[in-house]
Amino acid sequence: MTARSVDLFTVEVIKRALVSAAEQMFVALGRTAKSSVIYEVLDYGCAVVDRAGRMVAQANGIPPFIGVLTDAVRDVLAKFRGRIRPGDVFMTNDPYMGGATHQNDVVLVAPVFFNGELVLFAASKAHWNDVGGKDPGSWSPSATDIYQEGIQFPVVRLVSAGEEVEDIVEMVARNVRAPELTLGDMRAQAASLHVAARRVAELCGKFGVEAVLEAIEISIDQGRRHALAELRSLPHGVYEAEEFIDDDGLGGDPVPVHVRVTLSDDEFVVDFTGTGKTCAGPINCPLSVLISTVKFAYQSVLSPHAAPNEGFFAPLRIVVPEDTVFNPKRPAPISTYWESDAYSGDVIWRALAAALPDRIPAGHFLSVCGTTVSGISDETGEWFFSVEPNAGGWGAAAGKDGESALVCTNDGETYILSAEVAETRYPLLVEQFALHAADAGHGARRGGLGIVKDYRIRNSRASVTASFGRHLYPPWGFAGGHDGSTNGVEVYYPDGRIDRRGRLSGEVMPAGTLVRFITGTGGGYGDPMTRPPEAVRADVENGYVSREAADCVYGVVLAGDPLALAVDARATERRRAKGNPAGSEGSPTASKENPKASKAKPRVPKATP
Amino acid sequence: MSRRLAVDIGGTFTDLVALDESTGALDLGKTLTTPGNFADGVLDAIAQGNVDLADVSQFVHGTTVVINALTERTGCRVALVTTRGFRDVLEIQRANRTDMYNLLYRKPTPFVPRALRFEVRERVTWKGEVLEPLSEEDVLEVATACQRSDVEAIAVCFLHAYAHVEHEARAKRLLEEACPGIPVSASHELTREWREYERTNTTVLNAYVRPVADAYLASLAEQLEARGLRGSMLTMQSNGGTSSFGRSRRLPIHLVESGPVGGIIGAAAVARQAGLENCIAFDMGGTTAKVSVIESGEVAIRTDYHLERSQTWAGYPLRIPVVDIVEVGAGGGSIAWLDEGGGLHVGPRSAGASPGPACYGRGGTLPTVTDANLLAGRLDADYFLAGRMTLNGESARRAVASLGERVGLGEDDAAMGILRLVNANMQAALERVTVERGHDPRDFALVAYGGAGGLHASSLARQLHVGTILIPAAPGQFSAWGMLLTDLRQDFVRTRVTPCNPATWEHVRSEIGDLTSEALRSFAEERVVVERAWAQQYVDLRYAGQEHAVLTPILEDDDLDRLLERFHALHERAYAFRLADPVEVVNYHVAAWGTVRKPSLREVDAGSTSLSAARKKDRRVQYEGLGWVSARVFERDRIPVDRAIEGPAVIEEPASTTVVLPGQTVRRDRFGNLILVEEATP
Repeated sequence: MTARSVDLFTVEVIKRALVSAAEQMFVALGRTAKSSVIYEVLDYGCAVVDRAGRMVAQANGIPPFIGVLTDAVRDVLAKFRGRIRPGDVFMTNDPYMGGATHQNDVVLVAPVFFNGELVLFAASKAHWNDVGGKDPGSWSPSATDIYQEGIQFPVVRLVSAGEEVEDIVEMVARNVRAPELTLGDMRAQAASLHVAARRVAELCGKFGVEAVLEAIEISIDQGRRHALAELRSLPHGVYEAEEFIDDDGLGGDPVPVHVRVTLSDDEFVVDFTGTGKTCAGPINCPLSVLISTVKFAYQSVLSPHAAPNEGFFAPLRIVVPEDTVFNPKRPAPISTYWESDAYSGDVIWRALAAALPDRIPAGHFLSVCGTTVSGISDETGEWFFSVEPNAGGWGAAAGKDGESALVCTNDGETYILSAEVAETRYPLLVEQFALHAADAGHGARRGGLGIVKDYRIRNSRASVTASFGRHLYPPWGFAGGHDGSTNGVEVYYPDGRIDRRGRLSGEVMPAGTLVRFITGTGGGYGDPMTRPPEAVRADVENGYVSREAADCVYGVVLAGDPLALAVDARATERRRAKGNPAGSEGSPTASKENPKASKAKPRVPKATP
Repeated sequence: MSRRLAVDIGGTFTDLVALDESTGALDLGKTLTTPGNFADGVLDAIAQGNVDLADVSQFVHGTTVVINALTERTGCRVALVTTRGFRDVLEIQRANRTDMYNLLYRKPTPFVPRALRFEVRERVTWKGEVLEPLSEEDVLEVATACQRSDVEAIAVCFLHAYAHVEHEARAKRLLEEACPGIPVSASHELTREWREYERTNTTVLNAYVRPVADAYLASLAEQLEARGLRGSMLTMQSNGGTSSFGRSRRLPIHLVESGPVGGIIGAAAVARQAGLENCIAFDMGGTTAKVSVIESGEVAIRTDYHLERSQTWAGYPLRIPVVDIVEVGAGGGSIAWLDEGGGLHVGPRSAGASPGPACYGRGGTLPTVTDANLLAGRLDADYFLAGRMTLNGESARRAVASLGERVGLGEDDAAMGILRLVNANMQAALERVTVERGHDPRDFALVAYGGAGGLHASSLARQLHVGTILIPAAPGQFSAWGMLLTDLRQDFVRTRVTPCNPATWEHVRSEIGDLTSEALRSFAEERVVVERAWAQQYVDLRYAGQEHAVLTPILEDDDLDRLLERFHALHERAYAFRLADPVEVVNYHVAAWGTVRKPSLREVDAGSTSLSAARKKDRRVQYEGLGWVSARVFERDRIPVDRAIEGPAVIEEPASTTVVLPGQTVRRDRFGNLILVEEATP
């Protein structure tokens, strides 16, 4: 690098100020939005992007928004270069262009000028409650094309030199179901861009535009160097894995997801060739979402706490063939993209896990396991509408057991609903909310437990929608660890009928019906016969592992009554000496190959060139 | 009986402040904290301070005994009893992944293992109706299991117990009878707000520290009484008020932030006296800086405190009122370091007291904030702790220069760089309590204390456009001093979701009225003499269908319209919009205060008659953007009252140093505070 005009401490002060500009934009939008999906579910993200469309700083509520706003800025530049003025705000939500995820996630971009010069962009993306389309709320598990999923904004000018473009605003208002709410969120979002713009302008005033831009160059270069240093410490080679998504979103065949990851000194290549075609149902994942999920996977493997700027992602290269579920063809529906995008990260982790067992845990329950319970309350005569994600089991890694009951990778600082709040708001009785000790995920390190939650309907009728992916294919274990267990919904009707499924679409249920939501146990790591007997004893005492599984799968013989169990060391030694009884008779979890089990095919790593 | 005494145990030092009520004279003391037996440290401090306990009318104690037991995990073996189907709530928690890009995230381990979490049959609804009566048989079975499992404390938390306490109260009584000697904590004694995980965790943590806190306070009380103390014995609670020893022994979790709160109460008091209604308390010590906002003289309280929460960890929620404090890893001992990508950082790692900053000459070689302050001329090597300790400039220089070399900077620039960076970190914390909560920092003054507060306050104030800084007398013992001014406080919060409109207004009034009567009765049980008992009433209001609630005060002569207008205005300030939607109450909240007589603050001696008598040798000080400048140096106590000094200047005192920037003016007011002023820059 040539002589710098700013010293490295000044660079740090500018870097922090830019991060704080993104964070303050994030807080401002959370504070001023009217929809709970923004301020409670945190389904939004904010970023500062440079004038070449490179990521400078960001603040996200959920991981899939990482690095996604750069493409939107590039689209703005491609369309409006030379016509961008102070006070402009641009809007896009077209999933087939850059930066958008589904139409609900609307991106706004504002240029930041200082003394007449375009310096940076502030951009944010937020989930609007409704953008039209065939179903209320716009995203729809049964959409068959994108026109059913809401209005599309190609990159349009929403605010022109400080004045709202009335025609556009009216058009938005006419195409959404709750215009007051939507326009409220839209204006809050536009206003929050100015919070960042003000901070950036202040910074330019204090240090000068040149110093700010140079600090950005240096910080991007630092990000690149950091990533390369990490990359050099990884085992180079080619790694492959394959998985299957349960179905195409409309009940069709499983969809294959295939990845080939190549690690070298200066590149992290992710190639999805071999992945299934564009689906008929709305589980297709727009390219921007795919890129962002892959960025998340890359960051999690390389350095979870690195500042995610453009330089940090420089070594990442993504190959994804057209007309596949990860790069679908217009006008395929995409509004429940999260049903497929999570697999793109999962399959990368699966490919690399055996080589990086202390950085990557076994597979987790993966699906958002989103549920909607709605109806008209007998008591108040008003609509109730509960939408929530569920927690499930995470996989084990070399250094730790899996976590029990965490939200999936698609969710981040996302809180599950309290039973007391749920009962106050909705005519439901939560009869249990407990950890679910499935007989799965065994290993030297154990997979974490999922949950079981029982909702009893206390209304003459209620409609339940649930989308539980990984209903057919359990989370994967590795290095001798067992697979976890699947997610699913069980419905116990008052007439005695029982229904077990992965997806429910607006199922109407009478009073007294009990809906049981179950999420999976995460995959295990390592041979269960090597788990310390004392840990197995504690597992049994705590009810995480059954006494039978302790005996058959872990080879640990316990004695004494349930409140004071002790390891019979000699019997355990004898049992373990006989070798792994998995597959032997009487084992409740013989690791039988699931006929449909997905597979990781790690290749022997090549020697470093 | 004319003295009041406050003793504050901190991580390194135990501070004592004794006030003579008739003369207003203050005695200060500082002794080393005695971690093995805190009570010894308290008694040492009292002995060294020459305080005759028979003279003491009121003893206030700030203690880290609760927070230490929690963070060091040295509490007791707890069993939890819940409604059937809900024992795992403590482990499921809210399931959030705070560290979202980290696949190896570990969620907080529950304080009660699953094997000690028991369920009993009982069920009530959110309205408090009984769906299934309490099974006493189940409770007795649990009691047997607890005794067989060597449990040392029991926590009971039932679903919707905030709306129906009878089941919990009955279970508690049965368990106490069946398990003599094992203390039982029930959730309704601690909080009556909804959300089962938060309430359960609060109850569990109270049970976890109860035997430790009980033993400590009991033994301390006994020893103080044996030495002649007859006055009232109070603890400093996290809610910004004091409480009796007796109550704290039962409900010790209220002492979780006992230490830092005293300073914030003190900040509110000195600011009010100086005519500053809005201020930010800024406490910078060796390892962390703590900030808190005081608006219109009122300390900000929140009920969503989390133990050990960080940007990468969810921590443990406590649904109790705690003064709203934001803490950042920035202190005198914070270490400056370079990461592998070439990025610079200051903190959160601290050199602590041992080895300490390089300039302490105790073997530390890493550059710290204190080293940078010394090199930049802000500290006098020969006048650190009033000369009790000499700083080693050479060691500081080596440490800072070696970092500077690696980033291509000389030692001067590197030292200034460290100061700028630590200030940037603290600025972020200050913005979190102001800008991010809808406050404009320009409407606030900064009250700076703690060992390092005065060194950094002037730069921070300038960055945030804060016009006035107040540095109280004895900033090193300020927290203990604040405790002397604290009134008794107890909070009563009830979740009861009710519409708030003309049809329900009478009902809302009677709910808050009942709660107020209950709150005021509570002091009678405490056996503490208060001058006046009074109550502040609040309701958490929100727009129906929204989640955010806004704590809205109810004033004496309020009618519904005035209350709603106040809510709309507060909502607009916090969330930038107001709606025409129906409004509902979520929580009723009463803060009951027992006012104690306040000592009047003594005015200081006028100081010297001339500035020159206060003046020490000028020295060269480095300022951002100006480089080395010759600054005048003054001894704080000798500065004539109300005489303006223009920056650049440095004001020294035994345990602290204040830096005045060019463009700022400082004076010492008649109460001994330093007041720094900077004219607003556009």
